[in-house]
Amino acid sequence: MAWNYSDKTKQLFMDAVQGKPGSHLGEVEDPDGLGEHGSIACGDALRFTFRVRKHPSDPLQDVITQARYLTFGCTSAIAASEALCMLIEQGEVTPLQALEVTNDDIVQFLEGLPDQKIHCSVMGAEALAAAVFNWAQHRGVDLEALGVDILPEETEEGRLVCKCFGLTEPYLLRKIKELGLKSIAELTAATKAGGACMTCHHQPGGLQDLLNQVWGIGGGEPTPAFDPDAPILPAPPAAELSPFQFMKKVEQVLDSYVRPMLQADGGDLEIIDIKDLTVYVRLAGACSSCMGASQTLKLLVERSLKEQVDERARVIAV
Amino acid sequence: MKHVYADNNATTAVAPEVVEAMLPYLTTAFHNPSSMYELARGPSDAIAAARRVIGEMLGGVLEQELIFTSCGTESNNAALRGAARANPGRRHIITTAVEHPAVLEVCKAMVREGFEVDFVPVDTQGRIDLGAYVRALRPGSTLIVSVMHANNETGVVFPVAELARIAKETDPAILVHTDATQTVGKLPIDLNAAYQHVDLLSFSGHKLHAPKGVGVLFQRRGSRVSPYMIGGHQERGLRAGTENVAGIVALGKACELAVAAYADEARVQGLRDRLERELLAAIPYTHVNGAEAERLPNTLNVAFHFVEGESILFELDRLGICASSGSACTSGSLEPSHVLMAMKVPHTAAHGSIRLSLSRYTTVEDVDHVVAVLPDIIARLRRISPYWDAAANGPRADGPEIHG
Repeated sequence: MAWNYSDKTKQLFMDAVQGKPGSHLGEVEDPDGLGEHGSIACGDALRFTFRVRKHPSDPLQDVITQARYLTFGCTSAIAASEALCMLIEQGEVTPLQALEVTNDDIVQFLEGLPDQKIHCSVMGAEALAAAVFNWAQHRGVDLEALGVDILPEETEEGRLVCKCFGLTEPYLLRKIKELGLKSIAELTAATKAGGACMTCHHQPGGLQDLLNQVWGIGGGEPTPAFDPDAPILPAPPAAELSPFQFMKKVEQVLDSYVRPMLQADGGDLEIIDIKDLTVYVRLAGACSSCMGASQTLKLLVERSLKEQVDERARVIAV
Repeated sequence: MKHVYADNNATTAVAPEVVEAMLPYLTTAFHNPSSMYELARGPSDAIAAARRVIGEMLGGVLEQELIFTSCGTESNNAALRGAARANPGRRHIITTAVEHPAVLEVCKAMVREGFEVDFVPVDTQGRIDLGAYVRALRPGSTLIVSVMHANNETGVVFPVAELARIAKETDPAILVHTDATQTVGKLPIDLNAAYQHVDLLSFSGHKLHAPKGVGVLFQRRGSRVSPYMIGGHQERGLRAGTENVAGIVALGKACELAVAAYADEARVQGLRDRLERELLAAIPYTHVNGAEAERLPNTLNVAFHFVEGESILFELDRLGICASSGSACTSGSLEPSHVLMAMKVPHTAAHGSIRLSLSRYTTVEDVDHVVAVLPDIIARLRRISPYWDAAANGPRADGPEIHG
């Protein structure tokens, strides 16, 4: 995969990494607004802070004078953070005006982003909203009374839809509407939802259902979920002898005869599994490092089991 | 600018001797080896000679046990699909959670087709869980065990000879396949001694200084595996299609060179160990993935905590160093490497893991160049990271939430 970023994106990233003067890397001390978005588990996270020139009487006329970021993420995440700060600082805007900066503005400023990186610009817009919310709390501004509808992600409690990235139903519904997302692919590109295990794509209450709920499109084709972690347990072996009796007898013989002998030499033996009449044993302790031990032991254990439990018993050294 | 190629687990430079050996088969000796005239004998004999060299390298396997394919992925598909087709009564497959997609995705596709697959887990060092492997074996119904010889991301080597023996002792009809793409040419493999229980083995030319477009499937005589590609009589009908003569000749030459260079692997390991030691010493909050496991001599997968792998690669690239990463941002998906996740590498480190893989062409100057530039790259990226406290030179307590 070659880097398919715009020159602007690459330039902003390199300026930031090299700490070029004028870049917005860093953190405002005692910030008037602080917002975070993302988490290290999701692969990127942004801590966005700003300072305002405080208006003596009307906080709504505060003007953002300084914006800074700290970003954990890929090339485009860092460039998008830089773009966000530049967009805000250059406008001499109030925090409420700053909210008009959308992820589209960030994408345009970066002269485009690859589809799968759109979430980097969404992260910028989300951290900004959270920081403005934080400023409003500091300055006693009642956003709700002003009709400003920002809900920082952490207040959007609700049913978890995408478990991999910790995204809730209210958050995803809001993003689907705000960004006009029409398909699972678009939703994944913008928010990462469903981008990892994909289990939530078509399950009840999953991404397709949320899209249908907003846009009223017909139901999608359900696909069977695949979970590589779900163990597929082997069927119980069908031995003539009761498997339980066989296992108990094997244990008894090993415990009373073979293991004491090994333990005398600083070794030991462990039963890993029993399938039908086959017993899998592992050597432990001093015996495990002896090259010849495993086959010798196999014969010893096998003979004991054949004589004392079942003549068809087999042993496999693990 | 100095260039350092440290991505040899992705692909390798074609050896000059290999280029020289293959060139005549692209020019004067271009004839179809299946043709009847005298001029076709050259290409036909050259294929036979390459087969002998490769057969010797693998412990004297029979010439008819080697099937030339187009790549490792094709060999893996042929092994798994061919095994399933020839044994319709068996529907259970065992593989690991950390296979290359060329096996993992085939297995997932087979799950959708009704096969049952056990993905055996690994421990935090990337070693296979032997107990889970044994418990997964089902005498009478397991079709095939497919376990990679060494992992491409971490270089961790699996005890394939041992796993194969256990499978065969459980039920001789269980087929054993190994994807040895990362080990052929690096580790000696004797298919008639230690690896006698392996029925199928895949590898690819371009990982050992042959060109892309040629691979091998070893298929032990008598194994119940059906042909995958049907057409002409080439490869005794097991893999139809006019032979890639130049590629096959190149692979033969590359194998000859690899065997001659086995002794050089100790030098490569020396370079890898130097790289590892110097990076760990120079950069705090760094660890090696799979450090306690047996690893390939050329591979270093190193995690720089609190930074993101793609950014590291971008900076390395700018400074002329080619490496790769298991980070989410480089994979096309949004999830960090399935290998590191299976090893339960914490997210703080998984995203900042990069792989440096060397070859016999790597020099000590190459290694020292990487050691010279990486600490600064990491320091600068950490200065940007919200999880890092530059003043304390350590992680900050009040960084954004780390969930997952």
